[in-house]
Order: sequence, then C-alpha cells, then structure tokens
Amino acid sequence: MTGTRTPRHPARTTPDGVASPPRAAAPAVVLLEDVHRRYSNGRVSVQALEGVSLTVRAGEFVALVGPSGCGKSTLLNLISAVDRPDAGRVVVCGTDLAAAREADLTRLRRRSIGVVFQAFHLMPNLTASENVALPLALDGRRDDARVARLLDRVGLGARGDHYPSELSGGEQQRVAIARALANGPHLVVADEPTGNLDSHTGVEILDLLGELHRAEGTALVVATHDDRVAARADTVCALRDGRLAGTPAG
Amino acid sequence: MILRALWLRPTVSRPLRFLATVAGVAIGVAAVVSTLLASRAAVASLGADVEVVAGQAALEVRRPGGVDPAVLGDLRELAGEALIAPVVEDVAHVPALGDLARVLGVDVLVDDGVRAVELDFGERDPQEALDAWLLGRGVALSRGLAAELGAAPGDALEVLVRARPVALDVVAVFAPERFASAWDRVLLVDLSTAQELFARGPRLDRLELRPRTAWDPDAFAARVAERLPDGYRVAPASARRAEGERLVRALEFNLTALSGVSLLVGVVLVATTLATSIVQRRRAIALLRSLGASRAQLARAVLVEAAAIGTLGGLAGVAAGWGGARAALAGVRTTVATVAPEALAGDVRLEPRWLLLGLACGLLASLAAALLPLREALRVPPVQGLRQQLAAGPARREHARRALLLAALAAGAVLFARLPPLEDRPIWALLSSLLVLSTLLVLSAPLIDLVARLHPVHGALGGRIATSVRVAQAAVSAGRRRAAWAAAAVGVAVGLAVAMATMVGSFRTTVVEWTEQAMRSDLFVRPLPTSTGVAAGGIDGEVVAIAGELFGPEALDPFRATTAYVDDRPVALAGAAFGTVSGRGGVPFLDGRPSHEVFAEAARTGGAVVNEPFARRFGVGPGDSFELETAAGRVRRDVVGVYRDYSGHTGRVVLDREDYLGLFPDDGILSLAVYLPDAADVAAARAQLAAALAGRFAVEVLSNREIRGEVLAVFERTFAVTVALQLLAAAVAGLAVITVLGALVRERRGELAVLRTLGGSAGQVLGVVLGQALLLGAAGALGGLLVGLVMGYVLVVVVNLQSFGWTLQFVPPWGSLAATVGLVVPACLLAGLVPAMAALRQTPLEELRELG
Repeated sequence: MTGTRTPRHPARTTPDGVASPPRAAAPAVVLLEDVHRRYSNGRVSVQALEGVSLTVRAGEFVALVGPSGCGKSTLLNLISAVDRPDAGRVVVCGTDLAAAREADLTRLRRRSIGVVFQAFHLMPNLTASENVALPLALDGRRDDARVARLLDRVGLGARGDHYPSELSGGEQQRVAIARALANGPHLVVADEPTGNLDSHTGVEILDLLGELHRAEGTALVVATHDDRVAARADTVCALRDGRLAGTPAG
Repeated sequence: MILRALWLRPTVSRPLRFLATVAGVAIGVAAVVSTLLASRAAVASLGADVEVVAGQAALEVRRPGGVDPAVLGDLRELAGEALIAPVVEDVAHVPALGDLARVLGVDVLVDDGVRAVELDFGERDPQEALDAWLLGRGVALSRGLAAELGAAPGDALEVLVRARPVALDVVAVFAPERFASAWDRVLLVDLSTAQELFARGPRLDRLELRPRTAWDPDAFAARVAERLPDGYRVAPASARRAEGERLVRALEFNLTALSGVSLLVGVVLVATTLATSIVQRRRAIALLRSLGASRAQLARAVLVEAAAIGTLGGLAGVAAGWGGARAALAGVRTTVATVAPEALAGDVRLEPRWLLLGLACGLLASLAAALLPLREALRVPPVQGLRQQLAAGPARREHARRALLLAALAAGAVLFARLPPLEDRPIWALLSSLLVLSTLLVLSAPLIDLVARLHPVHGALGGRIATSVRVAQAAVSAGRRRAAWAAAAVGVAVGLAVAMATMVGSFRTTVVEWTEQAMRSDLFVRPLPTSTGVAAGGIDGEVVAIAGELFGPEALDPFRATTAYVDDRPVALAGAAFGTVSGRGGVPFLDGRPSHEVFAEAARTGGAVVNEPFARRFGVGPGDSFELETAAGRVRRDVVGVYRDYSGHTGRVVLDREDYLGLFPDDGILSLAVYLPDAADVAAARAQLAAALAGRFAVEVLSNREIRGEVLAVFERTFAVTVALQLLAAAVAGLAVITVLGALVRERRGELAVLRTLGGSAGQVLGVVLGQALLLGAAGALGGLLVGLVMGYVLVVVVNLQSFGWTLQFVPPWGSLAATVGLVVPACLLAGLVPAMAALRQTPLEELRELG
C-alpha cells in the first residue's frame, strides 16, 4: 500500500468461490508518485491534485470516492492517459506519461486501457456490436467471435444489431462495458458507471463489472459517489481537496 | 469498415448538406472550366487551330504589310528541298452562320502537298467546277460547315467582305483528315479570289514551307532568311499560334482569375461544412481519441471526406462547365473581340485534360478547405477533457498570436502588391488580395467577441427582447469557435461581393467618364455585327467615299489599323485624321494636356500618340521615341502623348492618316467616325448616310449615344459574371449560416430547453436563435465590408494596372455596398429561421432528460 490507500478486503473471494489474484505479488498496473496537477482558466487557477501517490496492481479493484471537485476526474484522466501531471510521476502499464510521446499515449489507450463513462458515450451511428468492435478497428484488427462473446457475456448477444437509441440506459452501459474489454486491456477505468442509471440497473451493472474484471484479470479503477461501489472494491481511496485522505468513514 | 461506417453514416443521414457542399465545389469548378473552355473556343483561330489549318507546313515567311510575290523567285533555289505554298488569309462575315469565318486563299496546285485537302465536286462537272474555282468566285467548304449551312456544290453562299455583300459559288466540299472542327469556320478559295476580295493586289499574307525530305529546321530557316529581303521574318508555323495565344493570354488569365473567385467561394463552403461537421461530431471524435484513435486516423477520415466532396464536385463541375461554356461562348467572344476582333470561334471541345483539370481543381479546393477544419479536429481532446476545454475563454496568448498573424498577413499583402507582374500576369497582386481576404479567418473570432459584448444593445431594447439577445450573445460567445467559422464564411462571401462591386463600380465610373470625353464623333459607321455582337472585318473604302460626298472629307476620321512590331512584339498600329480629331476630340491624356494641343503637335511633328497599355509595356512617355517595324521597313517615331484607353489592353500606336498610309499604303478601314458641324441635325444626317449605304453595304450607322451605350454594353457583358458571383456569395453566406447555426443550436439545445422550462416563450426561444443569426451576420458583414474594400482597392489600383495597363479611379459604389450588407444581414436572419424552427420543435423535458 502506498500513501493513504486502504485495502478493504485483503482476502476477498468472489460469490462463486473463485479466489481473487494475490495483490501484493501482482505487478503494478498504475503507479502515481507525488503527483501534482493544476488547472488554469483565465485568471482562475485550481490545484486539482496535490502530492497524490497511489499504486494499483493487476486484478485489483480500486474505488475513488470523495465529494464533487475533490479531484476524482483529474486523477482518472491521468490514470486513463488523457492528461499529464505538472509534477510527480505517473506510470500506467509501464509507460511513464511525462516522457511518453502523444503517439505512445494513443497506443497505450488503444491497447491497454478500457474506459466506461457515466453517460455511456456510445457512437449513435454504430450498432451495439460495431460499438464493441470499435477499439479493435482502431487498432486495425477484427475479431467478430470476441465481440459476440463479449456481447453474450453482458447479456446482449441477441441485440448486436441494435443502435444505441434502441437500447435502454442499462443496456447501453452494458455495451460500453463490453467495449471497454474488447481489446483485452490490463486496466479498466470507470467514471461514475452507475450515475445515470436507476438503482436496480446500477446494481446489475456493478455485478457485471465485478464479474468481468475478475474473469478477465484486469485492474479496475472506479470513481464514484455510490457507496455500493465502494463496498465491492478491494481498496477504497478517498480524495479531499486534491489529496488522498484515507478510508471514508463507515 | 467500422471506421468508414462511422464517417459515412452521418453523411448518408444528412444527404442534403453533403450534396449542397458538392454543389458548391461543382459550381466553382464549372465556372473555371467553362471560362477556360469558352475562351479557348472563342479564340480557336489563334490557338491550336492555327497549326491544324497550317497542315504540314513547318516554316512560314511573313512581313508586316504582306509578302511581295517576287520573294517566291528569291526562294526558287530551295524549291527542290521544300514545297512553298503562298497563302492569303482574312475574315468575312457569313450571315447564314451569324458568325465570322476565315477565308483561306491558296494555290490549289501546290497546296495539296501542305494541307492534303481532297476536293469533292459532288454532282458538278469537275472541269466546270475547277473553272469556277479558278476564274469565278468559287469556294470549298468542309463537310461540317456545308452541313451547318445546308449548302452543297452548285449552291451560292453570301458573305460580307469589308461589309460588302459578295456571292460565292460553292464548288466543292472536303473531308478534313483530322480535327474537323478546326475547319468548320474556314472558307477555302483560290489565291487570286482572296486577293481580289480583300483588295490585296498581288500581295500575299505569308508563304508556307513544307519539307520534301528530312531537314534540320533551324539550318533551313537560316538558309531561307539569307535569301529574303530586309523586313521579312521566317518562323515555325507554331510561332503564329504562340503569338496569338500571347495576345489573349492576359485576358484569359483575368477571366480565369475572375471565375476562380467562384472556386474560392466553393472552398469557403467546403471549409464551413467540414468544420461544422467536425463540430457536430466533436463528441464522437473525442470519444475516438479516448478509445485510442490516432491523429493520423482522424486526419485520414477528414481528408477522405474532403476528397470525396472534391472528386464528386470536380466531376459534376466539368460536366456543368462544358454546358456552361457553350452558353457563355457568345459573351466571351464579345469580350475577346476587344483584344482580337478577328479571332474566330471554334467548337467547345471537352478533352481528357479538362476532365483532369476539373478534378484537380475540385480536389485541391476541397483539400485546401479541409486544412483548417482538420486542425480543429486534431485539437479535440479525449472526451474526458471536453468539459474543461469548452469552459476555456480566449486567452491573452491567443490575442497576441492573432495580432501577429494579422500583421504578417498585412505585411505579405503589401509586399505582394508592390511586386511587378509575372509575364504580364498579376499573380502577385492576386495573391495579395487573397492574403487580404484571408485576414477574415483571423479577424472573425475577435469580431464575434466584439458583437457578443455589445452592451448598448440592452438599453435600447425592451426587457424581453434584451433577455433573448443576452442569451444569444452568451450562446455565440460560448460557441465562439463555431461562430467564428460562420462569421468568416459570411465575411468571405460579403468581402468578395464588396470587392467585386468596388472593382466593377470603379471601372464603370472611369469608363463612363472616358467615353464621354473620348467619344465625341456624331456618327459612327462599322460593319454589321455578327449574332455574337462582334463587328469585325472592316468596311469598304467606298463607304468613306460616300460619306465624304455627303459631309465633306474634313468631317471624316476613317480608322485604319493593322499589326506592326515594336521590339519584336506585335502592337496595333492605327491611322487617324489628326486634323479632324484635334478640332473635336476630347481624348483624355495621362498628363492632362488638352487633346487638341497634343494632336496638333503630333500632326505638326509627325509624332505618335500611344495608349496607356503601350506606354506601360514598353516603358515610354512623351518625349521618348521607339522603333516601329512596318511594311515600309523600320521607322522611328516620337511619343507626343499617352492617352487613356479602356477599349482593350493591347498596346496601340496612333499615327496621322497620311503618315500611316505611307507605312501601310492600302490597308483596310475598320470603322468611320463622322464629325458634323455644331448646328447640324444629327438625326437627319444619320438617316441620309444610312439611306446612301442601304442595300450596298452591311454596315451600322450609330449615333454618339448609341456607340457609347455599345461600349458600356460590352463592359456590362464582360462583367456579367460578377453579378452571378454576388448571388453565389449571398447563397454561400446563407448556407454557411444555416449549417453553422444548426450546429450551434444543437450544441446549446440544453440551454434552450432550460429557457423553455423556466417559462421562456416560443417567441423568446425564436429570438435567441435569430439573435445568434443576427450576431453572426453582423460580425461577418462588418468584417467582409472592411476586407472587401481593401481587396477592391488592390484589384482596382494594382491588379487592373498590371493586367490591362489601365489607371482607374478608386470609386467604391457606396449605395451598392450598403445594399449588399443590407441584404446579407436579413438573409442571415432568414437562414436562422431553419434552426430556429427546429429549436421550437424540441420538447424541453425530453431534451433535458436526454442530456442528463
């Protein structure tokens, strides 16, 4: 453990009894060391992250919690390799963000990171299966069998030809999860994945995320306000005013 | 496959926008292709047709004023090595065609070896036909021309030679071996017939030489030159083509540059559409970036879309341009006639190279238009960064960068405007005006900021309207990058319209003043124009004699002109009655000296007056002298005055009639000006002259007002294309506003939904959207007006001077400019109705739910 990161379930087992991978022995997928990030907007300047250190290992489920504006999204942006720190070190899947070229970051996002958004962000002009196949297509690959398998696993095997507008919110988020896993990433980053869903669907999505993360062996980092998400995480990291503040109460 | 679908599907789902963009490119390409095709066809007799009709002739011997047949004897020694064919060539008006035709006088016995034309006498007895050919006024026509005229051997064909009706006897038709259309405006007659028709006497126009055996052309040309008397030139047959093409090159360039403006408008439309399409797909692009799409993949997608628009637009443009060329041929011919009155029109030919040119124009225009939108696409951050970026306002650094760019563009424009023309083409000056225009791309964002911050508006309006305007200002400000695109598109359209209006307005004012000063004759006699409005071929000397009997020789100024050479470059040499002109003419001279004083001095000293294009081309002014190559050999003349001349841009030297006749003894008269006494009844004199000429000559007798009206009509026809360009510009402005405003409304639909939910009326929502349209239109119109005036100044003061050699007054037509701006702003409001109605159809709660 680094910084104020708190493991919640050091020896967790899945509901079906399968043991999760041993964390301490697993390699680090994400490594943050004393990271600082400041945003300037005209005359206003905001210190979004201040001295954050964090390690996420392969197969680990980390929940980022904290009030709005605490720096969750900034941290997620760094972890998902769309932003770079002003100071400190961020290493994602072995790539040091500060030193990497833009093309390296693009390749990293394409091959090693899957992202799930609160607002789903599916391509409205592509069908469900095309949306899932999109990361593969961006990498010049095609694997219809894997796409079909992923859709089956998220329970939408029969709806691959449907466009996003023909799917419910929960179904759209399932497609987004399948898309995040399409390239077999080492890390899945989810930003409030249940934020736009009703409570029942939210639970379904959480079950699915947890199940797939364990089955695929990927590390999972979720930013959330939802206590149910935090309850399922291996580790909960609480952010306050841009600093990691330890395990939230309760 | 998936990536292709990602870009294709939105296009397919919005076909109208895609087709409108393709149409924008197609219109631009069509304008360029049709102008080039029509101008090439209009001067066919000066271009490739020269060589087609010259057949296998390799060299030509010529001399100003014509070739003495005795030269044939000088070249006799070379007859074993080369076939020598004498030729007389002129033009005649064929009323049945409504057009001019080239009359080619050849010696059929030797010419067979040059042109390989095989005569078919039809059912006519060959001996009788040959007699008619040699002894009568026989003519042979190509099969194409015979078919067009419905003529066959044995028929008579009426032509107007020097405005005198002459009946020719059709003795034969022939089938040209290749390039048949080049022969479709040729009347083939015997050499002696041509000499008699055009009063050439024994003179020939040229000798054509065809090798009998393999030869070294340069060495043979040198041997020919050794045997020729002074003043003769020997040159490849292709040199005449080059000379002809040089004559009209500047005009063609100007017409093409003018038509190129429409391509520029097409570029703006493509740029706006692509930029808007990128804005609309901003979330999709951002998401792709999040999922790992590389910049190369995004760039490829944008460029492929641009290439598709360019290819389709190019192909459609070539097809439309070919049709347009046929429609525009008559207009372009009239324009060309101001430079080369006796140039003959050919067929509008669509060759593969035009297809390639059209495609290249379309593709290049589209790809160039894609560059800025491409930059916009590549700057889109991953979806996680969108919110931060949208909140960002203009940074101080951006203002500094814009100011630097603006200064660089202005400096470039000034620098280019000061550079001399490239081979008579104002390429740098046109680049300068393009730089001026491109400042709009830099200015549009600050202009948007300006209109978005105009506070006085609030006080002047009622509360509810003020709220709508305030929300509109906020919306425009929040979407300033998109709004800047729309403002730039409107600005470019307005700028081009203003620049064109300024150029044409300045030109018109100058020409009107000039015609009032320079055209003082009471009556003007010229050959009957063809159906395309070209009055060429000259008038018979007897017309002058008849007018002389009626009004006295001192009232007449017969205008003679031919081609002479200065520094080996052809110029128009004219003869005028200086005595008559000095008494009446008000020709404006550059140095402001009174016309009568200059002409009196020229008559007294035997000097010349030259026009402004001549003075600029050869760098001469009053007091300088120049050497003129004439039929009487090389002569030197002093320049007495330089006069303003807006009737054409070829260099012209005017000598006194007697002096001229001494240099070119019997050259034809092109037109006749008649100066009547002050108290004379002009209408009666006109009727008297027309009656005396009626039935004998196909001429027009025009009054002073009519001839001035004719000059202005030619002017209006030449610039008719600018009216079309203005309409095109307004259409593009409208399309740009619809496209961009649609995108803005879609982007800000959440705010509109909130406005409705909070109790905003439909009228207020309408006001917000129309307010945005008004702000975009106002910003664009303001920028366009400023930039258009500067561009107009460059066009009037630099481009015109460099391409035509004309000094024009800079006179912005303020009324017309106010009307342009006054039309564009309401047009933008009208265009805003489309997205405004779409905004009203939204259901607020659904919108808010969808947006989360």
